[in-house]
Amino acid sequence: MATEAIANTNTNTKKPKDMSKRKRHRDYIFVAVLLAYPVLQFVITWVFVNIGALRLAFIRVDRAGNFAEFIWFDNFARVLRNIFTSPENNTGVSWLNNNLVVVLNSFGYAFITIFISLPLSMLFSYFLDKKMPLANVFRVIFFLPNIIPVVALTMSFALPLKNVIGADMFKNWPGGQMYVYLYCIWAGLGYNVVLLSGAIGRIPKEIYESAQLDGAGYFTEFIKITVPLVWPTVVTLVIVGLTNVLTLYLQPFLLTNGDDSWVTSTIAMEIFIGTSRGNTVQYPQFAAKGLLFSVIWAPIVMLVRNRMSKKYDGIDF
Amino acid sequence: MTSRIKKSSAGYKAIKWVVFAIFVAYSLSLLIPFVWMFVSSFKSRGEYNLGNIFGFPKEWEFNNLIEVLKFEINGQAVWSMLLMSIVTTVLGTAINVGLSAISAYCVSKYKFPGRKLIYGAAIFTMIVPIVGTLPAQVKMMETFGMMDSLIGVLFLYSGCFGFNFIMLYGAFETISWSYAEAAQMDGANRFQILFRIMLPIARGPIIAVCILQAIVYWNDYSTPFLFMNSVKTLAVGLQSLQNEMINREQDYPMVFSAVMVAVIPVVILFACFQKTIIKNTVAGGLKG
Repeated sequence: MATEAIANTNTNTKKPKDMSKRKRHRDYIFVAVLLAYPVLQFVITWVFVNIGALRLAFIRVDRAGNFAEFIWFDNFARVLRNIFTSPENNTGVSWLNNNLVVVLNSFGYAFITIFISLPLSMLFSYFLDKKMPLANVFRVIFFLPNIIPVVALTMSFALPLKNVIGADMFKNWPGGQMYVYLYCIWAGLGYNVVLLSGAIGRIPKEIYESAQLDGAGYFTEFIKITVPLVWPTVVTLVIVGLTNVLTLYLQPFLLTNGDDSWVTSTIAMEIFIGTSRGNTVQYPQFAAKGLLFSVIWAPIVMLVRNRMSKKYDGIDF
Repeated sequence: MTSRIKKSSAGYKAIKWVVFAIFVAYSLSLLIPFVWMFVSSFKSRGEYNLGNIFGFPKEWEFNNLIEVLKFEINGQAVWSMLLMSIVTTVLGTAINVGLSAISAYCVSKYKFPGRKLIYGAAIFTMIVPIVGTLPAQVKMMETFGMMDSLIGVLFLYSGCFGFNFIMLYGAFETISWSYAEAAQMDGANRFQILFRIMLPIARGPIIAVCILQAIVYWNDYSTPFLFMNSVKTLAVGLQSLQNEMINREQDYPMVFSAVMVAVIPVVILFACFQKTIIKNTVAGGLKG
């Protein structure tokens, strides 16, 4: 690999070889000095932690949390048994036990982000770009969910509603979970609109004008022009939606004041609550659970990303 | 032809007004809860609990704000949570954005072995969800003796190969190297080029990233909750305060006052830098 400063490659060709070698050497030292800490930090917090989690998934620990023995796939088997054959069932549906509801809750987030939040925010952003009166005021207001602490935002959603619906609104299944989804749509719209209206704002107005001359209405214009041109952003938001399945816990955790009930729990929330309570004996199971779902879900996320990226490949403006 | 355009423009207008109404409704749904909390933060506990939940206060209790700042949860006063939030936010943002900018600059402007690997790792960690590492992370922090400390939180915040890195990488890519060459002619060394020339040129995107990151850290719940539990920040303390005040004393106005203490600083920060933020998130590399 060439080792000079990139832009220098063209200008330095005339200089003697040893000088450029020395310069390259100094470039290396410069970069090494500046990147030493960031790379070390990454190796510790990402590489080591992931290796640690991988090891944890295959071992049993004693009560103090120290290594006891390798048990290979026992943790995974236990996780699967817990999910599929748990005797705790308060749903009234014979095949749907409480632990399965937690998995279902988690996957629901992908569904609502991709099929409800995303189309809604696409429409919102599209019309924000259409010389809407007060468009700038709306933009600022829609930004609010992004800047307000989630703790405060969940309170602002739950407290007034609790006065109307009742204090136990998050405790009943499946209604409680529906309120959590409603919150996520309500608060998530703002975030999506900020990203999408940025992308839509960059579409040159001439494209719309020529489409209008050809008699295209809102609908045609939206489907044929806007969607393809902001497709990369759409793909990003779909990926965010898909990863929510494995990572989302804070919203239900805070809405329910840290209630660990199965009604509103998620895969990540079980891991988060278990870890925050210092439940060291269960750490290997959490690690196995995380690993299991990552192994199943990550390839699907990658596949969706690749497939979707190809759809409108090469369109640019 | 003209009639067709007229007809469609009437349809256009109708749709537009419907959407406008939806926008107004959504905006109100975002604003009203906060206006309600703001107004209610001036009510006395008695007045609120006697049923004046949604109305204006009959007597304005301006003392609530001072009372809540002095209020202690597990031996820590709310004002000290506020202080803790300010310290973690300022230091965390400075460290994170500083390192992100420097790393992005190196990877964007210098060719060295492993350069593509770093960029690839940054993208990979952003799009591939790996969960269940939390217990391992806790164990790692225990090993380094960084549990329950500000240093530990700052260490986690100093991870710089994420969204900010990608954004600033994009920003440096657009800056021409000829500025550096000119400075080189004048005898500037590599550090001077970075700190005196390149970082100042990229200050627009850097400021935008700083503000957004500061908001993220100000609002962060999980990291301080897990790794700095004995000294709380406001975002974490607010939750404890809510549990304490509502469950034990039914003192909603005090909770609302605390919410205002947490929310107003970010709203002011956002209001001051609104244009920079919106401009840079629009222009920034959010494409894919």
